[in-house]
Amino acid sequence: MVILSGWWDDFFWGSVVVAQVFLASLVLMIIFGLMGAAAKLSGSRIAQKIANGYTIVFRGTPEILVILLLYFGSAITLTSIAKLFNPDIKFLDVPPFWAGTIAIALIVGSYATETFRGAFLGVKPGSIEAAEALGINGLQVFIYVRVPEMWRLALPAFGNHMLSLIKDTALISIIGLNETLFVAKQAMGATGQPFIMYITVGAIYLGFSTVVTLTVMGLERYGNRTMKAGT
Amino acid sequence: MTGSKPLIRMEHVGKYFGKFKALNDINLEVTKGERIVVCGPSGSGKSTMIRCINRLEKHNEGRIFIGDIELTDNLKDLNAVRREVGMVFQSFNLFPHMTILKNLMLAQKLVRKTSKVEAREMAMHYLERVKIPEQAAKYPIQLSGGQQQRVAIARALCMKPEVMLFDEPTSALDPEMISEVLEVMTSLASEGMTMVCVTHEMGFARSVADRVIFMDGGEIVEEAAPDTFFSAPKNARTQLFLSQILSH
Amino acid sequence: MSFDVSLIFTALPKVLMGIGLTFQLLILSGVLGLMLAVVLMLMRVSGKWYLSWPAQVYIYVFRGTPILVQIFIIYYGFPQLEFIREGILWPIFRDPFGCAIVALTLNTAAYVSEILRGGVLGVDRGILEAGEALGLNRRQRFTYLTTPIAARLALPAYGNDVISLLKSTALASTITLADMTGIARTIVAQTYAPYEIFISLAIIYMIITFFIQKLMARIELWLGRYTVRTG
Repeated sequence: MVILSGWWDDFFWGSVVVAQVFLASLVLMIIFGLMGAAAKLSGSRIAQKIANGYTIVFRGTPEILVILLLYFGSAITLTSIAKLFNPDIKFLDVPPFWAGTIAIALIVGSYATETFRGAFLGVKPGSIEAAEALGINGLQVFIYVRVPEMWRLALPAFGNHMLSLIKDTALISIIGLNETLFVAKQAMGATGQPFIMYITVGAIYLGFSTVVTLTVMGLERYGNRTMKAGT
Repeated sequence: MTGSKPLIRMEHVGKYFGKFKALNDINLEVTKGERIVVCGPSGSGKSTMIRCINRLEKHNEGRIFIGDIELTDNLKDLNAVRREVGMVFQSFNLFPHMTILKNLMLAQKLVRKTSKVEAREMAMHYLERVKIPEQAAKYPIQLSGGQQQRVAIARALCMKPEVMLFDEPTSALDPEMISEVLEVMTSLASEGMTMVCVTHEMGFARSVADRVIFMDGGEIVEEAAPDTFFSAPKNARTQLFLSQILSH
Repeated sequence: MSFDVSLIFTALPKVLMGIGLTFQLLILSGVLGLMLAVVLMLMRVSGKWYLSWPAQVYIYVFRGTPILVQIFIIYYGFPQLEFIREGILWPIFRDPFGCAIVALTLNTAAYVSEILRGGVLGVDRGILEAGEALGLNRRQRFTYLTTPIAARLALPAYGNDVISLLKSTALASTITLADMTGIARTIVAQTYAPYEIFISLAIIYMIITFFIQKLMARIELWLGRYTVRTG
């Protein structure tokens, strides 16, 4: 891999950025997903309409478009506001890291809304009733009965959402985030070796995907350890 | 043509599912025109045994002969066997995406290479035989369980098999529909169809069977004519089973 | 900064000029991808390791890496390789449209093949046994029994993938293609009006998505007509 020498550390730091985006967007995605699910499950017509709107918008719009809109839109807005205070400012943007992270969290969050909603509804009402009949109070029922079962039901689809987050990170390179794809583009220009560079990026992302997939498989096995029939 | 070469012959047949021995030293002969009823508790291997006859399950020990053909991995032999052995399943297994008529015509066209016109005629003939010709254009989901099972019987008959296998044909039916299916099976028997039938319907066994076979734990425990079987069972296990099944 | 509605009216016709390219990408990749997906699925369910393993590796790689990376590998990376430049497929890889079609096709095929496989595995075993008992051979069972039933089972998930494919076509804009997103980005670069242009573009995509969903629902109804009890 003589060709890559000199770019190893750039790819390494690019990978670190991918991991950072993943962790940040994962937290936000869970929050957005739970909020959306809660809205859809609540009795409120308005909340449901808003949540449905959220789902429709972010499921029907290309991811790259959401990223571009969020980044350039917020940049224009911020720049205009900043100009009011200091006319010399030419351009003020939300860092690509955050614009991109929030964008992909919103997108995958719209899918997670359905996942969490389905998992919530999938918990057998009998379990909840039994717990309440035993005198356990509402909050404890939620924490000890509902959440563990929801988690187990949601896990496979949630794993897919995590994979989506990882792969969508590459799109953020378009607005200048220096994750691995961005690094590769620069390396291509400098070394004239686009094939190797982009294959490397593919391998790095494949590595991340594999880690996530193995983790989810392990968690699934753990979550289902008491579920084997006939044992 | 009595007492001629047996249609089905099973010699020392054994079958494993992993480590579990589902069938042990099964010996059975069925001659043409005979009606055999197989009964026994769940898990006794009765379904497994008849599924071995048309090789839906593969036996691990012993030999099985259908007519002159031995059941092996040979595909050509297997296809010849399946043409002559008809099967009716507990859950009917009609093809849900085809009309009743198409259900009956499909195998005729593909396996016996019958022409469309002849296949249609045959299909309508057997639909009338099982007394539901008016359902020909409907889809399975639109029929009741009893009707679906009768269609399943007609579907198997369209292939003009030498022997019919029934795997608990009425076990999945609501009680009021059991008799319409048993009626068809009884009239089939009276026309001389060779049958092997796994069932819990002891009334049917008593009136139709030439021989009743009791299976338990993967083995044939007792075998007798219905009179003898029901009135004077020899084996303790048979007696226990009969007392449980006939008392309620 | 104000929301310039008139800009939308002047820009919209220009953006819509890209809709032809968007649909070309969608339909061509969709059809070719479906064909490839059928082949992959057959390889996967064949039971023969020398067919199943290559298919599994292919699916793993294409589902585990971002589509943008796949596009870049083909568009930037392939021309670097001699055997591509001198091969008969060079006219395809030299052209950004060709590269986009290849990338989108290979990518969607991986996802769709798994969807088709899910359909095939979902067919009730009893039905196939009845076919076996009647004397139908393996190919006949697969053609007349498995395929029609599996197609109906796979349809909802397939519909979702078609929408994903639509959104992926927007990435063609990153390799100079003038689809709707490409034209929109150019206009935004000139007018500094991301909100007006990108929001309009998003609405166009959402409308197309809506129609695709309606079409899928129609097809589902037609394929599933035998699952309805009445009539």
